Amino acid sequence: MVRVLLRFPEKIVNQPIIAQVLLQHQITLNIVAAHVDFHGGTVLIEVPREHLEEAVNAFRERGVIVSFPKLIEVDKDRCLNCGACYSLCPVGAIRIEEDYSISFDMQKCIGSPCGLCIDACPVKAIKLAREASLLGLNNERKELI
Amino acid sequence: MKKLVESSGVEVAFKEVDVVTTGTFGAMCSSGAIINLGHSDPPMKIQNAWINDVPICHPGAAVDLYIGATAMSETRPFEYGGGHVIEDLISGKEVELRATAYGTDCYPRTQLRTTITKDDLNQFYLINFRNCYQRYVCATNSRDETIYTYMGKRLPRFGNATFAGTGELNPLMNDPDYETIGVGTRIFLGGTQGYVIGEGTQHDPKNGYGTIMVRGDCKKMNPKFIRGAAFTKYGTTMYVGIGIPIPILNIGLARKTAIRDEEIKVPIVDYGVPVRDRPKLGFVSYKELKSGTITINGKKVKVSPLSSIKTAIEIAETLKKWIEEGLFYLTSPVERLPIDTEFKPMRQKEKTLLVRDIVQKVITCREDEEIRDVARKIIDYAVNHVVVVNEREELTGIVTSWDITRAVAEGKDKLSEIITRKVITARMEEPIEAAARRMAQYQISALPVIDHRRKVLGIITSEDVTKILGRQING
Repeated sequence: MVRVLLRFPEKIVNQPIIAQVLLQHQITLNIVAAHVDFHGGTVLIEVPREHLEEAVNAFRERGVIVSFPKLIEVDKDRCLNCGACYSLCPVGAIRIEEDYSISFDMQKCIGSPCGLCIDACPVKAIKLAREASLLGLNNERKELI
Repeated sequence: MKKLVESSGVEVAFKEVDVVTTGTFGAMCSSGAIINLGHSDPPMKIQNAWINDVPICHPGAAVDLYIGATAMSETRPFEYGGGHVIEDLISGKEVELRATAYGTDCYPRTQLRTTITKDDLNQFYLINFRNCYQRYVCATNSRDETIYTYMGKRLPRFGNATFAGTGELNPLMNDPDYETIGVGTRIFLGGTQGYVIGEGTQHDPKNGYGTIMVRGDCKKMNPKFIRGAAFTKYGTTMYVGIGIPIPILNIGLARKTAIRDEEIKVPIVDYGVPVRDRPKLGFVSYKELKSGTITINGKKVKVSPLSSIKTAIEIAETLKKWIEEGLFYLTSPVERLPIDTEFKPMRQKEKTLLVRDIVQKVITCREDEEIRDVARKIIDYAVNHVVVVNEREELTGIVTSWDITRAVAEGKDKLSEIITRKVITARMEEPIEAAARRMAQYQISALPVIDHRRKVLGIITSEDVTKILGRQING
């Protein structure tokens, strides 16, 4: 599954776009996080890798701004294993293990739409980075097709 | 020791165990290092100095400098500071030294720029005047906004909490009457052997918050146990690793070193209220704190350690290994830490003015009122702000005279369309300075004053604050 960040401008926020893409293209997608109101919306979804291009194009055709969120990257050499970041994670991606080392579950991490842990790190060991396998894909294409 | 006392009793443990090693690794702001540079030619009596743009104090004569852990770089503040300079020097890195002086007959030089490493220094000693707090409070935040403090980042409305210290692993917690700790006690400090040189500042044994002052040779230290750090929007600091061996001299010490996390309780403190005596919301044990979740006002809240418990365990184990291998010899203190002193607050001449001293009566309205009626209130009461409340007098929004003007210009007629709903507020017991800081931060001119149930009690305006602070300055 690949994480895709959808931004719905105010003009199209009242349309059932996710439902349309789902039904028309028969893609199983998972909504990870969402914030929607009258002024627009931001929705983080997971799409199977084989349907990625199809889904991205389908959303862009409907006026959605599509980008690939950055994930957090932890420099384990710098990390103090303190846990200052632990209580800030809204999805439980940061854990304190039995031996009190701190572990990060990248499957759970929301990445750039969240980033609450980043400025809590006293040694700045947490950064946002692009998932390497997505580097070739067109990110943040703002113009509407 | 702890397990042995539980399984076999204190008598057996006393016979079996000779030494209990302890450890802690946390942010300790009252830390720093003394360096002696040697004399330049021509010589210089340094007046101001910077290392990697971090201002360094000059506590003594010509070329003795003290690198304070919390001093911040003038070019990269909140990012790089004295703690980082000390870590870099310990790591063997070259740092840039700049200095200025007024020049004397004996020290004519007035400018200096050079690079140094730890090998160029005559002395390079860590002298930390307050380390190793016996225990520390658990911090949370009642405010509607995220706050950044020396206790880390805390989310709004009790969204999380933080704690410092290592509980049952803490050195002073294992010898709470300081029978074996005092001037001259040899300890693990920053990866090498150092010494306790006395009680730390703010040592508060009567309330169970003892501290120590320590000294150690930085040239022999390991940067793994001395780390520069930066707390966002608070500033820079340094993580210091300390371990103390407690010799089990009597059965009482066997009992004391068996202390468990569940027995060590600390208050949960609301750092959302920026006064010295911050409100306490209850007590919590280190066992609960280390579990990752505590309960505040009946709600489950995630809690972050700020000290590295993993590294603290490593320190205690390293110290144990040193003792077993004959690399570390225990010393008995020349003088024990005081056990009967207390930490006094500052003597202040002027009274601290609180929000309650300048709060004004507030004009309120309901969400379903007409814009015209609210405009009438603004004129009749000569105010700029009308606070929107519900039927229980609880805050739901705010409307300013500017909002009304704009509504008229844009032809809006519903009050609900122009209300600001995310309202920055103040509390009665807050110092005026804290409220003023918030107004400046958000560029607003008034704060509704509310209680913990969000009931509106009054309002303070930047005008009133300016008046009162101005009067204070002018005597």
